[in-house]
Amino acid sequence: MDAERSSPYLKAVWAVTWKDLTAELRSRELLSAMLVFALLVILIFNFALEMDKSARENVTAGVLWTTFAFAGTLGLNRSMAVEKDRGCLDGLLLAPVDRSAIYFGKVLSNLAFMILVELIVLPVYAVLYTSPSSRLLFTPAFLGVVLLGSVGYVAVGTLLASMAVQTRTRDVLLPILLFPVAVPVLVASVEASRAILQALPWGEVLPWLNVLLVYDVIFIALAFMVFDSIVEE
Amino acid sequence: MSSQPRVLQILNVVSALLLAIAAWMSLSYAPTERVMGAVQRVFYFHVATAWVGMLGFIVAAVAGVLYLVKADLKWDKVGLAAVEISLVFFFIAVVLGSIWARPIWGTWWTWEPRLTTAAILEMVYLAYLLLREGIEDPERRARFGAVYTLLGGISVPVTFVSIRLFRTIHPVVVMGGNPNAQGGFNMETSMLQAMLFSIFAFSVIFATLFWHRLRLGALAEKVEQLKLKALQ
Amino acid sequence: MEPTPDTLNYMLAGYAIFSITFFGYLVNLYLRWQRLRQDEKDLQEQIAAQK
Repeated sequence: MDAERSSPYLKAVWAVTWKDLTAELRSRELLSAMLVFALLVILIFNFALEMDKSARENVTAGVLWTTFAFAGTLGLNRSMAVEKDRGCLDGLLLAPVDRSAIYFGKVLSNLAFMILVELIVLPVYAVLYTSPSSRLLFTPAFLGVVLLGSVGYVAVGTLLASMAVQTRTRDVLLPILLFPVAVPVLVASVEASRAILQALPWGEVLPWLNVLLVYDVIFIALAFMVFDSIVEE
Repeated sequence: MSSQPRVLQILNVVSALLLAIAAWMSLSYAPTERVMGAVQRVFYFHVATAWVGMLGFIVAAVAGVLYLVKADLKWDKVGLAAVEISLVFFFIAVVLGSIWARPIWGTWWTWEPRLTTAAILEMVYLAYLLLREGIEDPERRARFGAVYTLLGGISVPVTFVSIRLFRTIHPVVVMGGNPNAQGGFNMETSMLQAMLFSIFAFSVIFATLFWHRLRLGALAEKVEQLKLKALQ
Repeated sequence: MEPTPDTLNYMLAGYAIFSITFFGYLVNLYLRWQRLRQDEKDLQEQIAAQK
């Protein structure tokens, strides 16, 4: 990458993302927490739901996305809390670049963590609950839905986590703020996933992909406009 | 800052009157509906309170945007008042909807799009109030509140569309009735009159309550400022 | 034609809940107002006494 010519904005975004990624590479605290939590959730589902062979087709999409949502919340919380506690945020705010660069940097690193966890959970799930549709979990279509859904979730989640971390109630507040607002993402992701796993015609999947795309675009745009107001001192 | 302005006092009386008339129209003037019986009478207040709730929702979303643009704390008070009143009215609307559903569909709750979206909206409101609770600084509280109102204001309509799409794929199965009817019935003229009057009455009641809640907010702000002064 | 079902109890429950919630909110607003007025008075006395 030609450092002289790439825009300072993109450099700032990448700086934030790279900081998070390298920090996590060294300590691996966040990823291990998210992973263990995700696997625990899947384990609990085994007892909570009837997951015998016949039920799996119906239930897989819901179980997977519930797991992703909870693990994602954990990641979002920890990621922003670290910024606040170590005062990294203040340092970043002094940089002479548009504040939304921080937002996009955080979104990228949060997204990376969430996707990494999802990519590990999927094969584990396929092994624990094998079914005829298991191979469909690794098709581009399914993975595409996972990506689109995660983007929407992390886009809103990062914004809300930035707020939540500045309140007294902190960790507890993020899920409360996030879930009602993220309903379209979760519903669309589950439905699109389910349609793919049940090998339904593409026409069944498309409307949900539209919802996901619209949501992602709208909320990333919103976050871009509004992030400045959140990190003002 | 203690006695109510003249106009507000008049509004109080007018609102009380309108509520009484609306109640009379719903309970007596409108005929009993043949298929559902007396329970259908809750429909008038159900529609009216849902309407007022929607009004509050829009006011809150607009107030949020206006605060972010103008940074004038009065918009924060407007948003908070709108959320609180809308919270109460949507609660009434949802409960009345549930009560209306019970004898007809044999279930207290049906996950149909409007009811589900209303429930999610209530969650958004509660989250908004909890968010404010956790922030001391009035300016930051206003800012964060406005951002969340904006997010909620956009996501809730998208939620409604998503759930409606969801329901076309997974229709609600209800006992003994057409699930798509959603409690439809033939409205006679007097029923239509009762419904329209209730909507009008509750709109006026909303305005009155809103004014009262704004005054309460102004007083609360004054007290907060006095507290700071007393600490010096 | 089937007889009209007797759903009076549901109707009464509906209006009862409406009344409790609506008038309960009015009472809540009134009580909060009174409490704030009291706080205002106390704080003003406190500030005057501090001078």
